Amino acid sequence: MIPFYLTAAAMLVSAIMVVRSTDLVRAVLWLSVVLGATAVAFIQLKADLLAVIQVMLYTGGVITLMLFAVLLTWRRDEGKPAAGRHRQGIGALLALGTAGLFVAAISRTELPEHTPLVESDSAAVGALFLQQHVVAFEALSVLLLAAMIGAIVLARRSDA
Amino acid sequence: MAGLEMWLYLSALLFAIGLYGVITRRSAVALLLSIELMVNAVNINFAAFGWSRGDYTGQMIALFAVALTVAEVAVGLAILIQLSRTHKSTELNVATELK
Amino acid sequence: MGTEMPFLVLALPTLAFIILALVPQLRRSGKPAAYLVIISSAASLWAAVKLLVNQLSLGDEVQSEFLIRWLPNGGDSLTDVGWLIDGTSAPMLVVVGLVALCVQVYSLGYLDEESPEGLGRYFTWHALFVFSMQSLVLAPNLLQLFMGWELVGLCSYLLIGFWWQKPEAARASVKAFWVTKAADGGLLLGLIILMGATGGTGWNPEGISSGTLNAITLLLFVGVMGKSAQMPLHIWLPDAMQGPTPVSALLHAATMVAAGVFLIVRGWPLFEVSSLTLSVMLWVGCITAFCAAVFALLQDDVKKMLAFSTCSQLGYMIAALGAGGMAAGYFHLTTHAFFKALLFLGAGSLIHAVGTNSMSKMGGLAKKMPFTFVLFTMGSLALAGIFPFAGFYSKDLVLETLEHGHHTIPLVLAMGGVVVTATYVGKSLTLIFFGSNNSPDAHPHEGPITMLVPMALLGSLTLGAGFLLLKPFQSLLGNDDAVFHFTTLGYIGLGLAVLGLAVGNWVAKGGSVKALKPMGDFILSSPLDRLYVTIWRRVLLAGGKGMAWVDRYLVDGAMNALGWLFVILGNKAKTIQTSRVDNYATTVVAGAAAICLSSIVLWTLFVGAV
Repeated sequence: MIPFYLTAAAMLVSAIMVVRSTDLVRAVLWLSVVLGATAVAFIQLKADLLAVIQVMLYTGGVITLMLFAVLLTWRRDEGKPAAGRHRQGIGALLALGTAGLFVAAISRTELPEHTPLVESDSAAVGALFLQQHVVAFEALSVLLLAAMIGAIVLARRSDA
Repeated sequence: MAGLEMWLYLSALLFAIGLYGVITRRSAVALLLSIELMVNAVNINFAAFGWSRGDYTGQMIALFAVALTVAEVAVGLAILIQLSRTHKSTELNVATELK
Repeated sequence: MGTEMPFLVLALPTLAFIILALVPQLRRSGKPAAYLVIISSAASLWAAVKLLVNQLSLGDEVQSEFLIRWLPNGGDSLTDVGWLIDGTSAPMLVVVGLVALCVQVYSLGYLDEESPEGLGRYFTWHALFVFSMQSLVLAPNLLQLFMGWELVGLCSYLLIGFWWQKPEAARASVKAFWVTKAADGGLLLGLIILMGATGGTGWNPEGISSGTLNAITLLLFVGVMGKSAQMPLHIWLPDAMQGPTPVSALLHAATMVAAGVFLIVRGWPLFEVSSLTLSVMLWVGCITAFCAAVFALLQDDVKKMLAFSTCSQLGYMIAALGAGGMAAGYFHLTTHAFFKALLFLGAGSLIHAVGTNSMSKMGGLAKKMPFTFVLFTMGSLALAGIFPFAGFYSKDLVLETLEHGHHTIPLVLAMGGVVVTATYVGKSLTLIFFGSNNSPDAHPHEGPITMLVPMALLGSLTLGAGFLLLKPFQSLLGNDDAVFHFTTLGYIGLGLAVLGLAVGNWVAKGGSVKALKPMGDFILSSPLDRLYVTIWRRVLLAGGKGMAWVDRYLVDGAMNALGWLFVILGNKAKTIQTSRVDNYATTVVAGAAAICLSSIVLWTLFVGAV
């Protein structure tokens, strides 16, 4: 239990800091903490492959991208957290409401009998990818290619 | 070891925090960060269900989601860079052409 | 005989009217239009006489009945149009046709100073009137009678207002129309209830409960009160004298005002068994008979006097009907038509000669206008009820009917009315024909032959109708009781009449009692009229304004508010589209949350716990 609670605490605290932090760079860095905590969570859930990929792609790739974006478009007056009490109130209301909804749903559901994983087998995951779901895998790679090209096109200077 | 419910609660709370961020934040980058939080919460959910069922389907779905999310972030940031060029700001309330 | 004669009775005046309506050149030419109408009236009268002669051999049986289904009702007919010639309608057809013809010929002489266009217009309305009145008389059911009723009301309006350039005439025509129209509301209600109770508009009282019957007949009687100028709805008749005197003779003495009495006679199967209505009729008739006679006594204008006299005599007819004497009432209608028309035509002759309506400005005309003198006196004596004129017989029948039913107070009122009637008759005769001439400037002379011949014809009927026509009349109605013979009541009535004449003579010579003058002035100031005007202004117009307010602010207001509601809602709904991306993101999230929540709520409500 202790690993779970530690991970959960780290995740939640960092998440709150992400949404409340006024400085964008700080927010991005807090996000990296969240992503790291998520990787730890994955390990606890016996998903080693997922954890590794999480670290590589997210904390490596996404955070870097975010930092680039922040620094490329940095203005002095940005990052203020919210547009007034009104919006914050609605946000809090909706967030709490949604959370409450999910919590209520989870607590009332009879979850099926589970025999949890005891060990993490990356080869099995890979086999799943390349055997049952190979079409989706290939499509995903095409999508990544398209996204890459799209991002380059979109970010081009129009006069170039 | 924590049971399934605990993981689900965690993912729900994380999702709610991300939701708060989507609604509240004014900056486009912050918006993307909050969306990241929400996606992460979903991934944890998938992984937790997969773990509890005893097979690897949940992890696989989460892997797909990770890949997709990375692509989405890349494209989103590209759009954001364009936005900052045309409107000289990345705050969301400057893009008012969608009347 | 079957269908031609009744058709001709109706069709000829209609044809004349349509031709005159559609061919303005003919109408505006005056005399030719008059001749057309007179010829059509004469032919119509000839057809009516043939019908009557035939009817005499049949008694009270139906001679001819012709129905066209007009409003279908399932397999049956809701109402028909057509005609019904039987013992009740045949004599009235002749009365109407005869008086109409006399009046039309008389009008040629009376209106000789009228412009051709005016004359043509006058005779066009006359043609319409003859058609309307005849269609009323031979109506087979109440609905067609009502149609004729309304049409004669229209003709009355048109003819009273013939000289509409005179403001009093225009007002009088409108007043006549309004008062009778208001009363017709009652008639229409009665008609509707009758239709509801029997599914048709015939006069068969079978199957109707007595309460409903009383309601129907009472409402019909309200209409009769308006048309036949019974109190308190008599106010239009004196004002109707603004029309030309021949019109007063035809419509407002002989025929149109008699249509109310005729309705009761026609619908006798219904009225016979409605005891409440009969009592009401009895009392209204007697009170009108007496009070209207008093009003007539107070008048100086000869036409107004005759108008009130008509009210009074109609009261006698209605009282007789109320006492159950259908034959008595109907017979009095017939004789009254003759002698009252004669009186009006005679009055017209006097007015034409002297140039004024006022009796006190006449005088000493017996020698200067002997023909008019004789005929007017004949009519007056008939009105007073002196033997052997027709009025004596019919009035005595009325009194006998009242006495037969042991209606004491009504009888007393009626006999008082006899005295007062004779009084004003005596007064008028004295003022007009005897004494010295009070208008030295006028040159009184007899009218042209066209005026004298009709008067003579009516005069002979006034003289002879009583003893000659009573027997045939009763056989037509199937009514053999009230075989006429001289009774004590007859002698009393005669004596009262003679007494009245003497009193009238005395009154005319200036012997009126000074104490009665204030009451006379009060009555002459027409308080009832002022009451009606107040009711009209305060109640009806104010009510109308109130309803207009409700319509404008509540009914329309509600609709306008509904429209405004949607405008406001639309404006509020517009604010969602702020064009700001962060707002849109929020809206998406909020919407998703709403869908989730509502689905959970609905699931819990309709399927069970989550």
